[in-house]
Amino acid sequence: MTPASRTAGAATRRRRLGSVGWHLAAVALLAVILYPVVWVVSASFKPSGSIVGSLELFPQEPTLGNYQRAAEGMAGISVLRFFWNSAVLAVLAVVGTVASSALAGYAFARLRFRGRTVLFVLMISTLLLPFHVLIVPQYAVFQNLGLVDTYVPLLAGKFLAAEAFFVFLMVQFMRGIPHELDESARIDGAGPWGIFWHVVLPLSRPAMVTTAIFTFIWTWNDFLAPLIYLSTPDKYPLPLALQLYIDQTTLSDYGALMAMSMLALLPVIGFFLFFQRLLVDGVATSGLKG
Amino acid sequence: MTSSTVDSARPAAAGRRRPATPPSGRRNGDPMAGYLFLSPWIVGMLLLTVGPMAASLYLSFTDYNLFTTPEWVGLDNYRRLVDDDRWLQSVRVTAGYVLLAVPLKLAAALAVAMLLNQRRRGQGFYRAAFYGPSLIGASVSVAIVWKALFSDDAVVDRLLSWVGLDSGGWVGNPDFSLLMLVLLAAWQFGAPMVIFLAGLKQVPAELYEAAEVDGAGRGRRFWSVTLPMISPVLFFNLLLETINSFQIFTSAYVIGGRNGSPAGSTLFYTVYLYDRGFTDFRMGYASAMAWMLLLGVGLVTAMLFRTARGWVHYSGDNR
Amino acid sequence: MAVLKRFTRSLAIIATLCLVATGTVACGDDTESGEVALRYSWWGNADRADLMQQAIDLFEEENPGITVTPSFQEYEAYWQKLTTETAGGNMPDVLQMDFSYLREYADRGVLGGLDEHVGGDLVLDDLLAGFDGAGAVDGTLYAVPVGGNTWSMFYNPALFEQAGVPAPAIGWTWRDYHAAMATIKAETGTYGGGNYTGVIYNLEAQLRQEGSALFTEDGRLGFSKERLARFWQQGMDLIEQDVVLPVETAVQIKPASLWVDDLAASDLSWDNFLTRYAGETDTEIRLGPVPSDNPGQLGQYLKPAMLLSTSADTEHPEAAARLISFMINDPEVGRIFGGNRGLPATNAQRDAAELDGPLAAVAAYEETIADQLTQAPPAPPRGAGSIEAAFIRISEELHYGRIGVAEAVDQLFAEAEEILEP
Repeated sequence: MTPASRTAGAATRRRRLGSVGWHLAAVALLAVILYPVVWVVSASFKPSGSIVGSLELFPQEPTLGNYQRAAEGMAGISVLRFFWNSAVLAVLAVVGTVASSALAGYAFARLRFRGRTVLFVLMISTLLLPFHVLIVPQYAVFQNLGLVDTYVPLLAGKFLAAEAFFVFLMVQFMRGIPHELDESARIDGAGPWGIFWHVVLPLSRPAMVTTAIFTFIWTWNDFLAPLIYLSTPDKYPLPLALQLYIDQTTLSDYGALMAMSMLALLPVIGFFLFFQRLLVDGVATSGLKG
Repeated sequence: MTSSTVDSARPAAAGRRRPATPPSGRRNGDPMAGYLFLSPWIVGMLLLTVGPMAASLYLSFTDYNLFTTPEWVGLDNYRRLVDDDRWLQSVRVTAGYVLLAVPLKLAAALAVAMLLNQRRRGQGFYRAAFYGPSLIGASVSVAIVWKALFSDDAVVDRLLSWVGLDSGGWVGNPDFSLLMLVLLAAWQFGAPMVIFLAGLKQVPAELYEAAEVDGAGRGRRFWSVTLPMISPVLFFNLLLETINSFQIFTSAYVIGGRNGSPAGSTLFYTVYLYDRGFTDFRMGYASAMAWMLLLGVGLVTAMLFRTARGWVHYSGDNR
Repeated sequence: MAVLKRFTRSLAIIATLCLVATGTVACGDDTESGEVALRYSWWGNADRADLMQQAIDLFEEENPGITVTPSFQEYEAYWQKLTTETAGGNMPDVLQMDFSYLREYADRGVLGGLDEHVGGDLVLDDLLAGFDGAGAVDGTLYAVPVGGNTWSMFYNPALFEQAGVPAPAIGWTWRDYHAAMATIKAETGTYGGGNYTGVIYNLEAQLRQEGSALFTEDGRLGFSKERLARFWQQGMDLIEQDVVLPVETAVQIKPASLWVDDLAASDLSWDNFLTRYAGETDTEIRLGPVPSDNPGQLGQYLKPAMLLSTSADTEHPEAAARLISFMINDPEVGRIFGGNRGLPATNAQRDAAELDGPLAAVAAYEETIADQLTQAPPAPPRGAGSIEAAFIRISEELHYGRIGVAEAVDQLFAEAEEILEP
C-alpha cells in the first residue's frame, strides 16, 4: 500500500511475492475493464455494415477499409487538418486553463480579501446550471463581439478560468499545502506572488498535471462548443468531422467512424502517457525532508 | 527555499472544526493581492457567465420560442412543471441514477487509485490502461459497444445465464436500462481516479512511516492517515461527481435518445430539458427547468459543504 | 508595488497568448469588399460534403463575384446549430430545410419570402408535378424542394415467396397485410413485419386513404380519439398474435433497422431509405405499395423531403435565390449528386442523375405508382415534430405494456393540445 520500509532484509522475498500478486490482480481487473475497449478496437476492423448489432468480439473478416476511408478526409479537407485543429485547440486550452485556474485557485485557497466567500459561492454555483440553457445567451455575446467562427469563443473561457471544476480542484489541493512553508518564505521576504511562484505552485504539481490532462482530453473530445461556434469546415476539430460519418438521413459509415475514433485516440493516449509521469509523489519528494 | 519540517500534526485528530469554505487566512494579508490573482476569473465571470446566467433566469419567467421576443409570463413555467408528468419522471430517473452511480464510481476510482499508488514496474502503462475507458468519452462508439455488451444473448447476458439469471438483454428492458447507464458511469472512473491519485501523491510518506512505527496495520493506516489526508480530494470528487451526475446528458442521449428510450426509463433531467428547449422550441420552460435543477443541486451541494466541516481536513488551514 | 508589477507582467503574457490564439488560428471573416459572400448550410454525411463542394465550385465558376462558404453537420447537430444561430441573429444565407420544421421557422419570420424572385433569379418551371406549391406556408413561398420521397412498403421477396404469400401489389388491403404477416411468421418463423403502429406516418397513410388528414387546415389533430384507439389496438392485436417484431428487439437494434440479420419480412418507411437498408443486409429488399382499404386511394404522396430556404436577414437575397435555383435545376449538379439528396425534384436533374442500385429501384417504383400519388398536405403545423416524437414515445410505452390503449390515446391528445396551442 505504501512504499514499505526498506530496512528488513527478509522483507525482500515477501515484497517480490507481493509484487507478483499485485500484477496478477491488476491484469485480471484490466481484462474486465478493457473488454469493451478491445471490442471497439476490433470493431474498427469489421466491415462497416456489420458493426451495429454485432455481438462478437472479433471480426470474422477483418478489413483495413475503414481506416482507408477515414484517412481520405472529406470535402477536400485532409484528416491531418482536423487533427491539427484539435491539437491547436487542446494545447492552447491546456496553457490557458492551467495558468488561469492556478491563479484563481491560489486566491481562493490562500489569500484573504473581502467578499471571498461570496465569490466562492458564486463560482460553485456556475457549476450548477445545465449548459444547454446558457448556449443561446453565450452565443449572443460572441456574435455581438463578432467572434463567431473563430477559436476565441472556444478558448476565452479557458484563459479566464471560467471552468469552475479546475478552479475548485486547485483550491482543494492548495489548501492542503502546509502554511509553515509560506511562513518561512515570508521570513525570507516573499510576498503573495513569491509565495505563489516559489512555494505553492511547485507543490501543486499533481493538481496542475491533473488539470492539464483533463483539459487536453476534454477539449480534444469536445463536440458541442465547436459545433455551435465554428461554421467553416476547415476550422473543424476532429469530433465535428467524426459526427459526419453517422448522418441518420443518409448512409452511416460506422466503420469509418470507429476507425477515425481509434486514430483520434492516439494523441490523447500519448498526452496521457507523457503527463502522467509528472504525477510523482508531491510533498514527500519535493526536497522538504530537510 | 529554506527547508522546513512537514506539518507533523496527525490530521485525523478529531474534534477540530474547520470551515469547508475557504478559511479566513491570517497571513498573506495584502488586501489587493486577492483581487489581482482573481482578475482573470472575475473578467471571465462578468463576460461569460453572469450575463448568460441572468439571461436564463429572466427567460425562465417568459414564454420564449428562441426566434421571437420573449413574453413575460411570470411564474407560469414553474407552475406547469409541477403538473408535468414527464418532468416528474425525469426527476425520478435522475435521482435514482445519482444515488447509484456516484458511490459506485467513486468506490471504483478510489480502489484503483490505491492499487496504482505504488511503485511498480509499468506504472505508466497501468495508469493509461485503467484510464482507457474514460478516454473514449461519451461518444457514439461507446453507445454502440455498450449496446453490444448488454443486448440479448450478448456477453453480459451469457455470463448471467451461467449463474442462472435470464435478463433477456438489458438494452430493451426498461427495468435494466438505467442500471446499464450506471455501469457505464462506473466504468468510466478515470477522472476521479486520476484526482485521487494526485491526492495520494501529496500525502507525505513520513506520515505512513510514523503510523507504521506506531504499529498501525493496513486498515488502520487507511482510516487514520490516507482518508483524512485525501479528504479534500475525496470531497472534491464527491461534490463534482454528484453535480455532474445530476447533469448527465451525452451518454444518456446517445443511448436512449431524446425520448429516454425504452419507455422513458432513461429520460434524464437534462435530456428532457434539451428536448423542451431545442426541439420543442420552449426555451422559457427549459430555463425554468434549469433553475429548478440549480435550486435542487444547490441544496445538495450546500448540504455536502455543511457535512464537510466534520470530515474534511486541510493541513494548510489555520489552527 | 511588487505584486502588482509581477502581476501585470503575467497578465500581459496571458493576453499575448490570447492574441496569438486569436490571430494565428482564428483570423476572422474578412470578405473582400464588393464581392458577394453567401453562407450555405446543410445536413448530410461526408459523401454529401464532397459532392456539395463540387457543386459549389461549379456555381462559383458560373457566377463570378459570388463566393459560397459551406458549413455542414450531421442531421441532429445541424438543427441544434441552426436553432442557436437563428436565435443569435446569425442565420446562414442559404440553408437546407426539412418539411416538418418549415412552418416552425416560417411562422416566426426568420425565413426569407421567395415569391419576388420566382421567374427571375429563381426558376421553378421544371419542378415535378407533385411539387407545385410545396414549400409555401399560408400562401408565401419560403422553401423550394430539392428532392422527394414517398411512404412505401419494404419487403423481403424471398420470405414472402417461401411462405407462399403474394408480393404486395396495388389493391392489397391492411387485412391482407395482417394475414400475410401471420402466414410468414407461421411458415418461416421470421416475424412478418415491424409494428407499424409505432410510426405516425402509417396513421397518416390510413387517414389519407379515408379522405382525411393528420392535421386539419387550422393546424389541429385531424383524427378522433376513437380513430387513434382503433389504430393502436391493431398494433396490440399484432403483438398478441406474435407476428410483429417485439419492441424489446426493436429498441435493442437501434440505430440499425430490422433489416439487420433479416429480423422481419416487411416494414413501412420512406422509399429513399432503401439505400440505407440495402447497406445493412445482403438480402434483397423490394418496394411495394402501401396497403389500402380504399381501392384507388393509396394515400401516398410525393413529400418534399429536403428543401432550400433563405434567411430573412440575408444581405444578398438575389444571389441566395440564384444559388437555390442552380442547386435544383442545373443538370450537371443533378449528375454530381445522383441520388444523394433523394430523388431530384426537377425533371432536368432527374434525367441527368445516373441512378444505380437501390436508387434505380426507388425511381422505378415511384414510376409505377406515379398516377396514384395525390397532392401533398400543406406544411405541417408548428410542433408537428414534437407530436411525431410523442407518438413514438407513447406507442413504445404501449408496446411495452406500461400503459393501455385508452391511456395512451389520452396522453397523446393531452400532449398534442399543449404542443399545438396557439
